[in-house]
Amino acid sequence: MSKRTLPRLLQTPAVLLLLMWMLVPLGMTLYFSFIRYVLNSLRRPEWTTPSLSNWRGFGNYEYVLFKAKDFWFAVQNSVLIVGSVIILTVVLGLAIAVLINRSFPGRGIVRVLLISPFFVMPAVNAVLWINMILDPVLGLNGLAVAGLNEMIAGLKSFPVLGGFFSLWPEIEPISFRATQTSAIAVIIMVTWQWTPFAVLIFMTSLQSEDQQQKEAAILDGANAWSMFRNLTLPHLGRPIAIVVMIQAIFHLSLYAEIEIVSRGNGNKNLPYLIGEFATNNIGAASATGIIAVILANIVAIFLLRMVGKSLMD
Amino acid sequence: MAIVAQSSKFGKVFWPVLAWTVALVFFFPIFWMVFTSFKTDADAVKPEHLFVFKPTLENYLNMTENYDYWRFAINSVITSTFATALTLVVGVPAAYAMAFDPSKATKDILVWMLSTKMLPAAAVLYPMTFLTKNFLGIYDTKFLIILVLSLINLPIVIWMLFTYFKEIPREIIEAGKMDGVSTWGEIKDILVPLAWGGVASTALLCFIFCWNEAYWTVRLTTTEAATLSKLIEGNRAPEGLFFGRLSAVSTAAVGPIVVLGWFCQKQLVQGLTFGAVK
Repeated sequence: MSKRTLPRLLQTPAVLLLLMWMLVPLGMTLYFSFIRYVLNSLRRPEWTTPSLSNWRGFGNYEYVLFKAKDFWFAVQNSVLIVGSVIILTVVLGLAIAVLINRSFPGRGIVRVLLISPFFVMPAVNAVLWINMILDPVLGLNGLAVAGLNEMIAGLKSFPVLGGFFSLWPEIEPISFRATQTSAIAVIIMVTWQWTPFAVLIFMTSLQSEDQQQKEAAILDGANAWSMFRNLTLPHLGRPIAIVVMIQAIFHLSLYAEIEIVSRGNGNKNLPYLIGEFATNNIGAASATGIIAVILANIVAIFLLRMVGKSLMD
Repeated sequence: MAIVAQSSKFGKVFWPVLAWTVALVFFFPIFWMVFTSFKTDADAVKPEHLFVFKPTLENYLNMTENYDYWRFAINSVITSTFATALTLVVGVPAAYAMAFDPSKATKDILVWMLSTKMLPAAAVLYPMTFLTKNFLGIYDTKFLIILVLSLINLPIVIWMLFTYFKEIPREIIEAGKMDGVSTWGEIKDILVPLAWGGVASTALLCFIFCWNEAYWTVRLTTTEAATLSKLIEGNRAPEGLFFGRLSAVSTAAVGPIVVLGWFCQKQLVQGLTFGAVK
């Protein structure tokens, strides 16, 4: 047995499994994307079985890219959701990490409370937020606004102040199930879930910061902001890249949250659109899937180049 | 820390209070879910009973009646446990070989593995359904869910294990070889004690990811292998009528995992950042 045989042998099962996982379904998707294939068609029953005689060439791609009305909307919405969540979690994560990067009473408990949302099942996260918190009638959103309105109504009967408060309009709670706001609801719940992750990583990184350098900077009369900009932020470059990469991996395939909040009503991303096509038009679903794979790979190449090098040393 | 010593009296009170406030705000939805689970369905939507109500365990006691909770919970436990085990059985040897005996291709293999994680699930869902329903006959079986869960977690697990294994100093193992320790002894007495912590926290994290997975488990199951994610998704629109019960079943679904997460938060950082944050 040569020196290299054993390590290769140990890697083989993992490599083979992942290779099959990638190639088999992906190959089928690629095949389906070039044929006419629907699950139900009374008019053209021959299209209901996948067969080479239903070859459609790039027809499915043409249909998805230029004729199906939701494709570009879904792409835009994917970018909106992933981009907003990443920006919000990085900014909030940084702020909170700096905030708790000092010793104070109960710091351990604060950490535990802060990290908890990360472990909540996405399905529970979505059900909890959309029904019990954001719902305009029964959720806290609705109850809080109703309470506020009631308070203002009560104040109206006060002798002098009443005149002032009677000018106030009745406030309406925001409905998060409407077309545009449902994307905001998704952004809120995913940000809630992933900010803790950013906090945890930034905090770990902050603790390894060179304290002597900071002390020297203080002696030189640097203020807190310039120290943060010139010392802390560069130190956090790598962790920020990692937070962005991992979140991109997870959020590009976001699904449960979209499904639960709006059932795709006015708010869908690429995975959701594929799911919708797949209820009947497998050809279009597969073509969309291949496009999604290509887009994800572009993002992946970009991200892995960004962090890939630093991971190995 | 010198910097803290310099902060003003105002800062000494203000920043901790702010930190506590932020933490409580972030924890609030979870608190609210647990809190609501002790209300009756009627109380849960009454503004006058928002904070003052008669606590009840009714929702938890009736969980089996209302939701058939145990069937889903048992499926979650079985699939997550076996998937974690399978992932480790495949992942540990691979990560070990890559960390201790890297070749020129090792880096590329690792990056490629991570890139399989970016394969959009939606793109390959239909072929998977097609294959498992029509050809393999394993649709809606625990076996399929175990397989899929371990495949989607394998890249992350290998990365994490690789990170941990790489930190074990090679000198220790070489010193062992010098002293004439056998391969088996090397594994048993040197490697296992050193790698144990890393493997354990990787397993924990893998278990958490399996437990929370929604996309595949919802779509590749109907009744036989359905997990807690499916149970929650199936009850996504309670229309306010069942806030109490829904909260109880949600609490029961995430409670064990959140508590588990508290214990492995430190390892989580180390592992998920692939050791790039020091």
